[in-house]
Amino acid sequence: MNGWKGKILRVDLEAGTIKKEALHMKDAHDYVGGRGLGSKYLVDEVDPAVDPLSPENKLIFMAGPLTGTAAASGGRYEVIAKAPLTGTIGAANSGGYFGPELKYAGYDGIIFEKASKKPVYLYINDGAVELRDAAGLWGKTVFEVTDTLQDECGESFKVACIGPPAENGCLFSGVMNDKHRAAGRGGMGTVMASKNLKAVAVRGTGSVTVARPEKFMDAIVDARAKLKAHPVGGTGLGALGTEVLVNIVNESGGLPTRNYRDGAYFDEADATGGETLAATYLVRNKGCFGCSICCGRVTKIPDGPYASVGEGPEYEAGWAYGADCGVSDLAAICKANFLCNEYGIDPITLGATIACAMELSEMGVIPESDIGFPLRFGDAKAIVDLTEMTCKDEGFGKTLKLGSYRLAEKYGHPELSMSVKKQEMPAYDGRALQGMGLEYATSNRGGCHVRGYLTSPEILGVPVKVDPLVTEGKPALLKLFQDLTALIDSLGVCLFTTFGLGLPELAAQYREAVGTDETDEEILFKGERIWNLEKQFNIAAGVEKDTLPPRLLTEKLPKGAAAGKVNQLGDMLGEYYDVRGWDKDGIPTADKIEALGI
Amino acid sequence: MLMKFFATYRELTGCKELVIPAPPTAQALFDELIRRYGPAMQKKLFKSDGELSEDAILLVNGRHISHIAGLDTPLSEGDTVSLFPMVAGG
Repeated sequence: MNGWKGKILRVDLEAGTIKKEALHMKDAHDYVGGRGLGSKYLVDEVDPAVDPLSPENKLIFMAGPLTGTAAASGGRYEVIAKAPLTGTIGAANSGGYFGPELKYAGYDGIIFEKASKKPVYLYINDGAVELRDAAGLWGKTVFEVTDTLQDECGESFKVACIGPPAENGCLFSGVMNDKHRAAGRGGMGTVMASKNLKAVAVRGTGSVTVARPEKFMDAIVDARAKLKAHPVGGTGLGALGTEVLVNIVNESGGLPTRNYRDGAYFDEADATGGETLAATYLVRNKGCFGCSICCGRVTKIPDGPYASVGEGPEYEAGWAYGADCGVSDLAAICKANFLCNEYGIDPITLGATIACAMELSEMGVIPESDIGFPLRFGDAKAIVDLTEMTCKDEGFGKTLKLGSYRLAEKYGHPELSMSVKKQEMPAYDGRALQGMGLEYATSNRGGCHVRGYLTSPEILGVPVKVDPLVTEGKPALLKLFQDLTALIDSLGVCLFTTFGLGLPELAAQYREAVGTDETDEEILFKGERIWNLEKQFNIAAGVEKDTLPPRLLTEKLPKGAAAGKVNQLGDMLGEYYDVRGWDKDGIPTADKIEALGI
Repeated sequence: MLMKFFATYRELTGCKELVIPAPPTAQALFDELIRRYGPAMQKKLFKSDGELSEDAILLVNGRHISHIAGLDTPLSEGDTVSLFPMVAGG
């Protein structure tokens, strides 16, 4: 067995039994690993109509064939379940060291079934696997759980766990590993909590073998050299982190401001950017397993009301608490983000939900008595206080924990939730980046930037520069990006490797690891297969149609390079369905499904 | 004309922004920046073959010059011009 370990754990939480079963190798071949293979197991075993928080949903951890190898940035794994925030298939990707450790213990993945009657955690020490009591861990934060389990099991154990918000039904709770790394979006942690599963602690002493070691090393050396030579993958991300995007997106007129209400140019953006973070609170940068990019930020607020130490914020989180809330106090943004990591919730969704609450409050729609204080855009203290209330399930946090759609719907204005399929859009305005608007509308897990990151060509010029304001060519480009991303998420490598690597380098590493002679195109085809599989699940689950919030379709941007623009989704969506081989309603045709071998 | 610098260009120039008379074109602006900041700026803006480097992203009023007229993009008083290296994130 090469690349893959050939074995998964199947854990029946109700019965308390654990089986070691052979990996379905045809599916591994067809769906690669990680996101693709985990999704295949979910689609085969879970009714799409299932209540995401019922025992009938399953929670799947899945590594990829390159996870834990020497592949460039090969430390990723995926958590898959039907998502409670969106009702779509949920798949959230994370770095750190947990995924490789799972492989070293001998397993490609874990399938959790049903629900335990009492809190438990899964202990994995190579071949020794058991469910252990976690009553003493319930209610504890991510950091407390991680420290406790590393004390109990050993410092070398890697821990993935949930925090209290997941236990309290916060619909956007993540699965956190290595304390600060998150399978963050859609509520995978909430599903984990519904199963009374607090954590997975894993230690492995094995290794991952590859089919053609010499050629594999050649492919790695080539990939790593190209990554290092690239201005972004080599030095840019390491020096200034992902927050460096704030200024270029803002200057391009694409940084959504105050719940997208005030357009996409934030006058105070520079105070929240990567340059300012590096000059003020950055302690050092940090990398995940096998990564030369090291985009992670260890940050410290030395004094003042937000004095604390943590990691981040990353660009999307920094935007959600920054421009989207009209806040320019970087210390407050850092503190709010630290809390999200400590308690295990998605800062994109929470920041955007607070922004939505700010708009509804300024409109007078939310009574001050519901919140507990007057809430306005620009209130730095409020973003920290409301985050803490959500983390601790107190006061207005009990409403915020359901996300912006349910908040706005409760107060009679669902159109003011800046979400797609009930998941909040991140930090690029689809009116200024037409392709990103199409990406949000068609993403298989709701509003999301990392299903087909057209910001890269539209703003950054990687791998080619395309005009963000035009629609021509975007549907086909987005399909390519979505299919390639599905492949990357399934291989077990970081999406950031695409700031330096393309399909040829990624496919070469895969070929030599697993021992296949498939062409680049045949390997990319697996990404398209994965995308269509996810889409089929969503259709069967009754997920709403592909569209954008009315604000993006009707309210023109007031200033900046895209002044006067709305997203021209109607000009792109039909063509997108055409290039996907779907019918006019966005449903994969029978011919397409047959061609894909689904 | 307002000239803004970001990321590594701030280190290179030692400032965040300048108010300067508008050169006639983007090419003339680059010439002026090289005159002011020397070979380090030359190396960052242009490849050895004279082509504009991927590490030089110039926005004129928020629009990338490649979507206007490239190095011939006209500049005017009142423009805001932003210079970035290749950055990324997400």
